[in-house]
Amino acid sequence: MSELILDRLRKEYGSFVAVDDVSLRVEEGELVALLGPSGCGKTTTLRMIAGFIEPTAGRITIGGRDVTWEPPYRRDTGMVFQSYALFPHMTVAQNVAFGLEMRKVPRAEAETRVRQALDLVRLGHLAERLPRQLSGGQQQRVALARALVVNPGVFLLDEPLSNLDAKLRLEVRVEIRELQKRLGLTTVFVTHDQEEALTLADRLVVMDHGVVQQVGTPEELYESPANLFVAGFIGRSNVLRGRLAERGRFISKGGLALAVPADGMAPGEAALALRPERIVVAPGASDGGVVGRVALVTYLGAATEYRVTLDGGETITASVPTPRPGDPLKQVAAGDAVTLTWPAESCRLLAPGPGATPDEGGL
Amino acid sequence: MATATAIGARPGGQRAEGFSLGPFLLVPASLLVVAFLAAPLLVLFRYSFNRYSPREFMVDAFTLENYARFFTDAYFIGVLATTVQVAAVCTLVSLLFAYPLAYLMARTESRWKSALVIAVVFPLMVGNVVRAAGWMAVLGNEGIVNHLMLSIGLISRPVRLMYTPFAVYVGIIAVVLPYMILTLQSVIEGIGREVEEAAANLGAGPMTTFRRVLLPLSLPGVIAGGTLVFILCMNAYATPVLLGGPQFKMMAPALYDQFTRTTNWPFGAALAFILMTSTLLLTIVGTTVLSRRMHHRKLEAAPR
Ligand SMILES: Nc1ncnc2c1ncn2[C@@H]1O[C@H](COP(=O)(O)OP(=O)(O)OP(=O)(O)O)[C@@H](O)[C@H]1O
Ligand SMILES: [Mg+2]
Repeated sequence: MSELILDRLRKEYGSFVAVDDVSLRVEEGELVALLGPSGCGKTTTLRMIAGFIEPTAGRITIGGRDVTWEPPYRRDTGMVFQSYALFPHMTVAQNVAFGLEMRKVPRAEAETRVRQALDLVRLGHLAERLPRQLSGGQQQRVALARALVVNPGVFLLDEPLSNLDAKLRLEVRVEIRELQKRLGLTTVFVTHDQEEALTLADRLVVMDHGVVQQVGTPEELYESPANLFVAGFIGRSNVLRGRLAERGRFISKGGLALAVPADGMAPGEAALALRPERIVVAPGASDGGVVGRVALVTYLGAATEYRVTLDGGETITASVPTPRPGDPLKQVAAGDAVTLTWPAESCRLLAPGPGATPDEGGL
Repeated sequence: MATATAIGARPGGQRAEGFSLGPFLLVPASLLVVAFLAAPLLVLFRYSFNRYSPREFMVDAFTLENYARFFTDAYFIGVLATTVQVAAVCTLVSLLFAYPLAYLMARTESRWKSALVIAVVFPLMVGNVVRAAGWMAVLGNEGIVNHLMLSIGLISRPVRLMYTPFAVYVGIIAVVLPYMILTLQSVIEGIGREVEEAAANLGAGPMTTFRRVLLPLSLPGVIAGGTLVFILCMNAYATPVLLGGPQFKMMAPALYDQFTRTTNWPFGAALAFILMTSTLLLTIVGTTVLSRRMHHRKLEAAPR
């Protein structure tokens, strides 16, 4: 159990930069999720920490010890592979005992610890099975037990849940979090599932194209995304492009004048991000809001989404609690006029870079 | 339940089973095996009980004297011993040479990988006789090796390399090495790199990872490659004849001599069956021992 520090960690493949100067500090006992789209360098970063890939530049420190050039077997990391990578010729118990054997733990103690680790993942009764005689979820838990039993300094997981079905994924996710908390493990968890990351992690690292976009708690990332990419990747955002005419007043490309928080950016070109669930929809056109026509109503059970085309041609999606019978909003259908309102402080002004949302404006 | 029984018990063999092409597809292959493999072997087997007569060439009989002659003649026992020794040594040496290379080929991500595979396969396209001729040019008294050793002053007179057991070993190993490499490579490729990484991650150094993970998992490849190569070595003909010279006798050339030079077909046939049987027996013993060991290790490692 120890702190992990990445210092300007970099990996180049020829002229392609897979990981671009990633710096990160994972506190002792903290679970940090590496999140980002496919190919953004998450696995590469994790494998550099484990020692399977040599970094092009940068430093890795585990518990104050510089391990950048140490081979994997001298790093004291416990890795759970996406494919589990169990030893197919060894029983479950032998798999779990392997790391203890390598550490020359006396046999009696090793047996006790193997049993405890297997009980921890509720597989004590399958100790003598071979991996191929287990289900995917059981194999997954053996892999967890095998990595945990040695009390690794840093616990590394590469999309450990991606091969499980939805229900099992939820179960194992909770299990991992409980174990990690109970054992106080310093953990790096790779995933491209934002829900998984938000529910599991103390802090998130959002990556794109090998570059860290933002580091923060789930709430920080959701409430104050640092840029358009994060705004679109963590949760969803409406994005309006335009310019900040003066502090507190944003004018969109479609000619919409909106009140925005007065702090932060200096006037100039800007983008405005707005969460769909912060928008209130009222039937009919009225003053004191943004008026548009409903293009699409999507019923999602607890919530209903309204895709609204504004007069300037821009599109905004609002997500509201599904109206009860009798609510006038219930009658609103495609083609009807609606008025959208939201608190000014829900708008977030960002630099007008490229966003993550493919469907610009309408989410 | 009742319905099912009724259908199943329908009389007259009129089962509602679909027509299957399966058994008929076996016919051509079976005919081929009988015509080209079983038949000549059976004829040869029968010959091995016949009696040889210098005048009449082969006399129908039913005698074990050909087999008796082999097992009482020190010369032929020696030929069999040489054959087994050459085959065993060549199999072991090629295994030791092939494993690292096969591992490298299985694991490399270099763009030279396909070039490497072609380089390994290429010798298979050159016949054994042509290759033996090549070795003559390398190992002969005027050959490259002697020339090199002379020019750097390591020796003052050419050393005899051709027509020695050494030349035969080198020649046979060169022939069988590609088979061993390709067999091992495909098996190692099937072992995920991640299990090796998992071992390293759990604290196993390269040697331990090899001993505890890679070797046990690649043992099927070692057994397959070893069997294949051992059989090839036991039956080697061209290489021992061309590189070993007349003094050096292995089983295949010896039995060929019986058929062509001495025209003693019955004894030649007996030699053929002795060679075949000993190859089979040794192969079975070898693979059994290896698979036992594989199984044994598995049990041994079990924490009690
Ligand atoms: N050996 C390699 N040679 C060249 N490029 C590589 C190599 N390994 C990875 N890359 C590239 O580096 C980038 C990052 O790869 P990485 O596996 O870290 O992505 P990832 O974030 O884990 O994606 P995913 O979510 O799909 O697993 C990818 O664009 C990939 O193509
Ligand atoms: Mg990945």
